[in-house]
Amino acid sequence: MNDYQSVYLALSVILFSIGALGVILRKDAIVVFLCIEIMLGAVNLAFVVFSRANQSAEGLFMVMCIMAVAGAEAAIGLAIFVLLYRKTGTINIDKFNLLKW
Amino acid sequence: MKFDLVWLIPIFPLAGVLINGLLGRRIEQKNKSLVHWIACGAVGLSFVVTLGLFFKLLGLPADKRLYDFAWFPWISSGVFHVGVGYQIDPLSMFMCMFVTGVGFLIHVYSIGYMWHDEGSYSRYFTYLNLFMFSMITLVLADNFLLMFLGWEGVGLCSYLLISYWFSDLANAVAGKKAFVTNRVGDFFFAVGILLLLVHLGAHGIWSLNFSVVFAHANLLSPHLVTIICLLFFLGCTAKSAQIPLYIWLPDAMAGPTPVSALIHAATMVTAGVYFIARCNVLYSMSPFAMEVVATVGALSALLAASIAVTQNDIKKVLAYSTVSQLGYMFLGLGVGAFAAGLFHVLTHAFFKALLFMGAGCVIHGMGGEQDMRNMGGLRKRMPVTFYTMMIATLAVIGFPGFAGFFSKDGILWETFSGAHGSYILWLIAVLTAAMTAFYMFRLIFMTFFNECRASEEVQKHIHEAPKTMTVPLMVLAALSIFGGYIGVPESLGGSNLVERFLRPVFGLGKDKLLQSAGGPGLIHRAVSETAAHQSFSTEIQLMFLTAMMVLAGIFAAYMLYMKKRSVPETLAANNPSFYRLLLNKWYVDELYEKVFINPLRSISFFLWKGIDVVVIDGMVNSTAAFFMKCGSAWKASQSGYVQRYAVSFLVGVFVLIAYYMYVR
Amino acid sequence: MGLLAIIICGGAALACALLVILSRNTVHSALWMVGNCLALAVLFLLLNSQFIAILQVIVYAGAIMMFIIYAIMMLNLREAGEDEFRKSLLSGRFIVLFLFMICLLALGLGLSPMALKGEMGPHSLAKFGEVNLIANYIFVQGIAAFELVSVMLTAAVVGAVFLARRD
Repeated sequence: MNDYQSVYLALSVILFSIGALGVILRKDAIVVFLCIEIMLGAVNLAFVVFSRANQSAEGLFMVMCIMAVAGAEAAIGLAIFVLLYRKTGTINIDKFNLLKW
Repeated sequence: MKFDLVWLIPIFPLAGVLINGLLGRRIEQKNKSLVHWIACGAVGLSFVVTLGLFFKLLGLPADKRLYDFAWFPWISSGVFHVGVGYQIDPLSMFMCMFVTGVGFLIHVYSIGYMWHDEGSYSRYFTYLNLFMFSMITLVLADNFLLMFLGWEGVGLCSYLLISYWFSDLANAVAGKKAFVTNRVGDFFFAVGILLLLVHLGAHGIWSLNFSVVFAHANLLSPHLVTIICLLFFLGCTAKSAQIPLYIWLPDAMAGPTPVSALIHAATMVTAGVYFIARCNVLYSMSPFAMEVVATVGALSALLAASIAVTQNDIKKVLAYSTVSQLGYMFLGLGVGAFAAGLFHVLTHAFFKALLFMGAGCVIHGMGGEQDMRNMGGLRKRMPVTFYTMMIATLAVIGFPGFAGFFSKDGILWETFSGAHGSYILWLIAVLTAAMTAFYMFRLIFMTFFNECRASEEVQKHIHEAPKTMTVPLMVLAALSIFGGYIGVPESLGGSNLVERFLRPVFGLGKDKLLQSAGGPGLIHRAVSETAAHQSFSTEIQLMFLTAMMVLAGIFAAYMLYMKKRSVPETLAANNPSFYRLLLNKWYVDELYEKVFINPLRSISFFLWKGIDVVVIDGMVNSTAAFFMKCGSAWKASQSGYVQRYAVSFLVGVFVLIAYYMYVR
Repeated sequence: MGLLAIIICGGAALACALLVILSRNTVHSALWMVGNCLALAVLFLLLNSQFIAILQVIVYAGAIMMFIIYAIMMLNLREAGEDEFRKSLLSGRFIVLFLFMICLLALGLGLSPMALKGEMGPHSLAKFGEVNLIANYIFVQGIAAFELVSVMLTAAVVGAVFLARRD
């Protein structure tokens, strides 16, 4: 029986692409952050599909790890945004080019 | 005392250098006199050790007087080995004796001369000790390379001491001139050593030890020996101030007077003579090189004497006199009279050091005045200086009975009668002797006789020098008189101890000389030993003739500078061009300036502006500019905006996935 | 019925995701994000992964999204200034990027038959996704990784507190 794996995977890829698009195009740091969460969700979906296809729990474990990373990322990322906002009064990421020396 | 203790001789001055050089400032602040106690003590100890070794050497039979003390290996590369080692033989001991002896006296003299100087007392003595160390290394070394080290060392010390008062630009320039001129000679000298090494190495003898090299000198072709000898001689002309590289010596008088006495009269400038005497085996193999040495020596003697006649600076006169006397020594070497040449080195060290130190006393007493036209009448005010200088003058002109007489006579006689001599050279030498008498007595008359021409202030100040200065003068005066009697020629009933003492060193060279005598194209007359013994009467006649010439010189000086003192001015006024030629030292400096220095300067300027700035700097700068352009081109990629990085990240991921999907 | 459910839930997830990146108001974006998470949770249920689905609802829709909305409130973001985003959708850059995404999509679709070696057979379907299966994996094979994840979360909490504190 084919469980429509291709449909799931296509869905995952499109979701990932939408997320990536948002990361690249949006200037609001929080929305960028949300887009990253979308991408992570898409990856989670793909992991679950693969896990089922291979009859293995490893994929599910991966999903749990990714959720933990997302949580940690949310905590740290939002703390950084708060800090940036406090210092500069904006979180428009075009205003920050600190990576440039 | 064992010969193995020879390393003590150079080590004492080196210790003096280290103590005074590293701690001198502190010692000077605490106790200034400790500085000269260390320096003089070091040289004195060296002298004592030398004396001990000298007498031990004398105690050996003549054919056993050679000891090579190999101290430690220095350079060891494959088959080539050079060690630090000292050779004890009559020649090195002979040199070392008067280097340390006269050096010690001049150290003592320096105490009085430099005590009130504003410069650094310890720096002066450090340099002086360093010089002693280098000079001792030079004369004691048992191989060419170590000797070259000493050779360069004395050159360095000469430079340092000439520019001792370096805050005065003229002194710094004089030091530089001496240094650069010596570099020219040293370059040829080094080339000579390398040629010797390479060509002996081709025969499997990878050594620079004197004894090894001389033992195998036969392996070299005659032309090569001539080239090597001429290269060495060029080095010697720089160090010993002969034509064409003598120009630095008169300028070197910018240094303190004891330095002039020690380095530029008594010891360092005789290094060239010592070296040629050391290489007598090589030189004896090349009659042409010998002839060059003799001719250059005679011409230098004449040229320098002619310049000395017109100089007014007391030290300049003595400097040219030194060049002239060194010319005699080279003349002696060139005609094969090695022992006579070295004997003259010894007596010259005594009386010329004395002359310089006497001049130093005069300058000291006159408060720095060096122009003889502003002196005069010092006979009464500075009696010790006057009498000692008088003795030295009589010695330098070869007045019968004084040291210079015997040594100079030895050279003249060999020039006249020796296997390589010639009448022309002899004539030049005798003429020079007369001129020497003239200009030396001119110096004496202008300085010590007649009325004093100095200003009132200076006159009040004139005083005899302190004890530390006059005692060395008296010692040297005694040596200037009696030092000659160790070399009384056989014709005068003497036994010529010097020649006998040095015979083991020159024996090999003498043999070669006699073999080459009679070779084609040479102006010389073979004289057998027996014939020479029968010519005593000729020798005495020639001595008489020379003495007459000297007396004539003295008389001329007396007439011109004591009796009719207007004559020199009228003479100069009547022959203005000739007088100016002499006064300006034959325009040799100007000639060198035009022929060598200016072209060199313009080449250097071209290399600077043309090659260095445009080509080399251009290459470096354009390399830098290229990378700067590349950097600015890539700069745009490093915008610092997170999203742009994210884009490139995604592109990279895409490329990687595409690679694994479709290519692999 | 399976395919229909997939299409409905998947379409909802896609629509929510698009609205996240298209809405001007940040709060709206966050709310659409919640919708996206819920749609994904339903998809997990369709894949028989009940435990993951529950985690998805609790962690994402519950914890993280509340966290984000709370942060938005704190920052009090009211300025618009995102107009250029709509313009850039039509700009060349967007088209290029869109083409790039299509390529990625094609890649992903090409990938799927390779990755899926086995069929998702019915034999273990009933048991798959049960908690004890996952727990067995976590506490037996992946215990070390699991503990490390807990350390990472602790570090994140400490870091967040450190960063956000007032000096």
